[in-house]
Amino acid sequence: MDYDVLVVGSGIGGMESALKLGDMGYKVLVVEKEASVGGRMILLSKVFPTLDCASCISTPKMAATIHHPNLTVMTYSEVKGITRDADGHFHANVKRKARYVDEVACTGCQQCETACTVAVPDQFNADLVARRAAYIAFPQAVPKKAVIERQGSSPCTFACPAGIEAHGYVSLIRSGEYEKAHRLVLDATPLVGTLGRACYAPCESECTRGSLEGTLPIRRLKRFISDHHVESGAGLGIEVAAPNGRRVAVVGSGPAGLTAAWQLARKGYAVKIYEAAPEPGGFLRLAIPSYRLPVEVVERDIQNVRDLGVEIVTNTPVRDLAALKSEGYDAVLVATGTPRSTGLGVPGEDRLGVLAATDFLRRVKLGETVDLTGKRVVVVGGGNVAMDASRVARRLGATSVTVAYRRSRAEMPAHHVEADDAEKEGVQFAFQVAPVEVTGDAAGAVNGLRCVRMALGEPDASGRRSPTPIKGSEHVLPCDVIIAAIGMTPDTAAFASQIGVERRGTLRADPKTLQTDVPYIFAAGDVVNGATDITRAVGEGRRAAHMIDRWLTGGILDGFDLRLPVVDKEQVLARQKTYTLRPATPEAVTLVAEPRDFREVEAPLSETEARAAAGRCMDCAVCSGCHECVNVCPVENCIDLYARDTELDVEVGAVVVSTGYKLFAADLKPQYGFGKYRNVITGMQMDRLLAPTRPFNTVLRPSDGKVPERIAYILCTGSRDETVGNPLCSKFCCMYSIKQNQLIMGALPLAEVTVHYMDIRAAGKRYDEFYEQSKSMGATYVKGRVAKITEKENGNLILRYEDIENGGQLVDAEYDLVVLAVGVQPNRDAQRLFPQEELAEDQYFYVAEPDEDLNPGVTSIPGVFVAGAASGAKDIVDSILHAGAAAAQVAAHLERTQAKTKVPA
Amino acid sequence: MSTTTIREIREIIREEPVMHPRILEALRSGPLTVPEIAQAIGSPTDEVLFWVMGMRRYGKIREVKDPTDDGYFRYEATNWEVPA
Repeated sequence: MDYDVLVVGSGIGGMESALKLGDMGYKVLVVEKEASVGGRMILLSKVFPTLDCASCISTPKMAATIHHPNLTVMTYSEVKGITRDADGHFHANVKRKARYVDEVACTGCQQCETACTVAVPDQFNADLVARRAAYIAFPQAVPKKAVIERQGSSPCTFACPAGIEAHGYVSLIRSGEYEKAHRLVLDATPLVGTLGRACYAPCESECTRGSLEGTLPIRRLKRFISDHHVESGAGLGIEVAAPNGRRVAVVGSGPAGLTAAWQLARKGYAVKIYEAAPEPGGFLRLAIPSYRLPVEVVERDIQNVRDLGVEIVTNTPVRDLAALKSEGYDAVLVATGTPRSTGLGVPGEDRLGVLAATDFLRRVKLGETVDLTGKRVVVVGGGNVAMDASRVARRLGATSVTVAYRRSRAEMPAHHVEADDAEKEGVQFAFQVAPVEVTGDAAGAVNGLRCVRMALGEPDASGRRSPTPIKGSEHVLPCDVIIAAIGMTPDTAAFASQIGVERRGTLRADPKTLQTDVPYIFAAGDVVNGATDITRAVGEGRRAAHMIDRWLTGGILDGFDLRLPVVDKEQVLARQKTYTLRPATPEAVTLVAEPRDFREVEAPLSETEARAAAGRCMDCAVCSGCHECVNVCPVENCIDLYARDTELDVEVGAVVVSTGYKLFAADLKPQYGFGKYRNVITGMQMDRLLAPTRPFNTVLRPSDGKVPERIAYILCTGSRDETVGNPLCSKFCCMYSIKQNQLIMGALPLAEVTVHYMDIRAAGKRYDEFYEQSKSMGATYVKGRVAKITEKENGNLILRYEDIENGGQLVDAEYDLVVLAVGVQPNRDAQRLFPQEELAEDQYFYVAEPDEDLNPGVTSIPGVFVAGAASGAKDIVDSILHAGAAAAQVAAHLERTQAKTKVPA
Repeated sequence: MSTTTIREIREIIREEPVMHPRILEALRSGPLTVPEIAQAIGSPTDEVLFWVMGMRRYGKIREVKDPTDDGYFRYEATNWEVPA
C-alpha cells in the first residue's frame, strides 16, 4: 500500500478531509488538477456571514495541506482511473501533467510570467483579464510555483524540418521583440535571411489560420526580422561556449554544412569548412537565382558563421577524408550536397547548346556572361531547378522558354508557386512529353528537341502516375538551347573507397545518428538523402552537429528531436465559437511577362504589416516556444520546454472524491444576454472584482471601465429552473449575493444595488441577520423573475420584470451592470474516475450517498467516499462539516478493513 | 438597442501584445480613460478594457488615483519608454 487514502480534489472539502485524516496518522495522497490547491474558495472576496477575508482563512489551510507530514500533494495532476481489487484495495493511475518548470527549483519570482509573449484568458479571474501562458495560478497559490500552459507543438513549429520555433518568433514579432525573434531563429540556423526568402514554408501549409481567412506569412515574417536585424546594426547576441579544444572539419558549405558549422562553433568547437567551389554557400550561392535570393543575403548569413570564428576555405575540394583526421580533426562532416545535373540520356545531348541546369545557374550566379538573347530555350524537367532555369533564361533574353515535362502539371515536383510564377513570366509548358533525341545542324549546334508524347498510367511508388510513350507521337520542339533539369546527383566518387556509397551515389549514413561506416565521419543533407530542400538540409545540419557533439563527448547518439506531439488543429479551432476574420496579408510578388533583370521580385513586409500578420497567430499550442521564460529565469535549468507528462500507479486503501461542483453556464439563459452584453457578468466575476487580488483597480463595468452606479442582481440564474434542467436550489447564491451587496456598498458608497429574487433563502446561523443587514445598508430587494435584458447604445441594460409585490406590473429598469447569481451544477468528472464500476449518482447527477441521512459521505462503492459539494450544493461551512464526516467514515473503513499502510499511533 | 457584436474574449486577449505600443503611444500625451484610449486607437471600449487591465496587471500602466466626474479612471504609463 502506497497511501492509506487518495483524495481527489483539493478544494475546501478535499483539504479538510485530507487534513483530518493526516492528523489521525493516515498517509494521504491529494491529487489536484490545477497548479495550486485551494479550489474556488481561495478565489472569493470574503465569506458570509462573517465577511472574513477568504484568502486569510484559506491560505493557512492550503499551507497546512502542502506541509502536513502525512500528506503528499500532487498539483497539476489528474487521476486517470481507479480500480478496486479483490482485497478491496484501490489502484489509481495518476497523470502528472508537465509543468515545464522544476517545481522544486522554481522560486515563484514570476519573471517567466512577465516575459511570456502569449496572453490567454485567466480562468482564475473568471476570464476578466489576461494571464500569460507561463503563469502562477494566483498570488496566494500554494505551492507558489510557475507552470507553463503548453499543449504540445504548434503545427507551424512541428512542420519545420529545420527545427525552427516558428510560433515562437511569430509571437515575439507580435510583441515587438524583433531582435529576440531573430535570435530565436539563429538558435537553429545562421541562415535567417536566406530562409526568409527561399524556404518553401511548410510551416505555412500547416498554419491553423489557413482554415480561416488565410495562413500567416510566416516565411516573410522571418525575412522581416532578418532585414530588421541588418538595418539595426545589432550584433548576433547569441551565446557561444568557450573553446573546448576540439576540431571539426565540414566538407561542403551549403545549408547543411553551414548550419552544422554554426552549431558546432556555438558549442565551442574549432570548425573549418572546406568548399570546392570558388564561393561558399552551395546551392544558396550558386544556384538559387538572385530574384528569389539575392547574393548579398546569402553572404550576410554566411558572415554570421564566420563571426563565430568558423574558417571557410574555397576552391578546396576534399577527396581524402582520412587526411583530415590526420591533420588533427576530431570529426569530419560531409555535406557536399548534389552538385551534378543528371544528363538527358538521349542521342545528341553532347551538342553545342545543351546545358546542365546546375552549371547554367552557377555560371549566372558567378557573374559569367550567358547571353540567350533571341534564343529559343527548352528546359527539360519539372522540378524547382527547372523553374529556376526557365525564369533565369527569360531574364537572359530568351525569346521563348518552354518547360518540357513528361507528366502532367499536377505531378510536377516543383512548388506550385514556382510554376505559377514562371508562367506569369512568360514561360510556356509542354506537358506529357519526353525527350528522345537532341537534333542539330551541320555545325553540331542544337536546333530542336525530338520528343514523344506520354500517356499516364497507374500511380507508381512515388504516388505519381507512370508515363509511358505513345507510339507514333514523336515531334520536334524547335530550339537553340536545351537545359537539362531532370535531376541532381551527389559527387561522391572520391569517397567510395573510404565510406559507404549507395548505388545512386548518395553516402550511407545512419538516418538518426548520421554516422557513416567510419565512426569519426558523419554525413548529412542532400549528399545522403538526394536532392531535397533548404529546410531539410538545415535540419540535417543541426542533427549532425548534435550527434558529432554527442560522439566527441562520449554520449549516446540520441536526444535530438525533442518536439512535443503536434496539437490538433480542430481542437485549436474549437476554443472559440466565433472568429473575426482579419485581412490576410497580401502577396507582394511583382512579376512581369518579360523580366529582364535579377531584382528581387518579392517586397518585404513593413513593420505595420508584420505586426498585424503576427497578431493573427492563434497560439495553437498556447506556449509559443519563444524561450523568453527560459532566458529570464534566474534558476539555471529550471524550465524545460520539452518535458513530458509522467504517470504513476499507486495503491491506496480508500478514496475520497472531492471534485466539487461546476458553475452554471450563464449563456444558457440567452434572455439575460451573458456573453452578448459585456455588462452582464456572473456572481463569480463580481467576487473577483471585489477580491483583494482583483483583476481591475476596482469594480468597473466591463464595457468601458466606468465605475457602475446602478447594479442589479438576478438570483436563481440556472438554479430552481426546470427550463435549464436544474430544479435544485444552489443554496448559497442568495447568500453570496447578499455578501456582494454589502461589499459593493462599501467599495462604491454611491452605488445603488437592486436584487431581483424569487425568495431569499437565508437558512443558517446569522444568515437572516446578514440579509437584514444588507437591506438596512440600502440594498433594494424586488420580488419577481426577470423576463429579459436588453442593451442600450451606451452599454446600460434594461431589465424587464414583473413586480410581484407592487401589483404585478411589468417594469423596465435601467442599470449600469447586471450580476447573474448563477447556481451550481454537478461535476460529473467524478464518474470518469472509476472505469470498471459505477459510482452511483443521485437523480440530479451528483455523487449519490445512498444512506445520506445516517451515513453522509458513503458512496455506492465500498471504500469510496465523497466530501463537499461533489454530492450536492453546499456552502463553505457545510462543505467543511461534510468533509469532516467523510474523513470519519474513511477512518472507520480503514480500521474495519485494516487496509492501511500502518496502524495510526 | 445596441447592434454591436462583441468578439470572443480569447481572441481579444490574444491581441493584447499587439496593442501595447499603440496604447502606450496614446498615453504619451497624458493619462486617459478607457473610452479616450479607445478613441485614440480606434478600438471598441470593451476590448480596450481587456488590454488596459492586462497591461496594468503586468506593470506597464497604472491608474491615476481618482476617477473623473463621469466615473472613469484614467491610466498612465509606468514609464515612457514605448517599445517597438
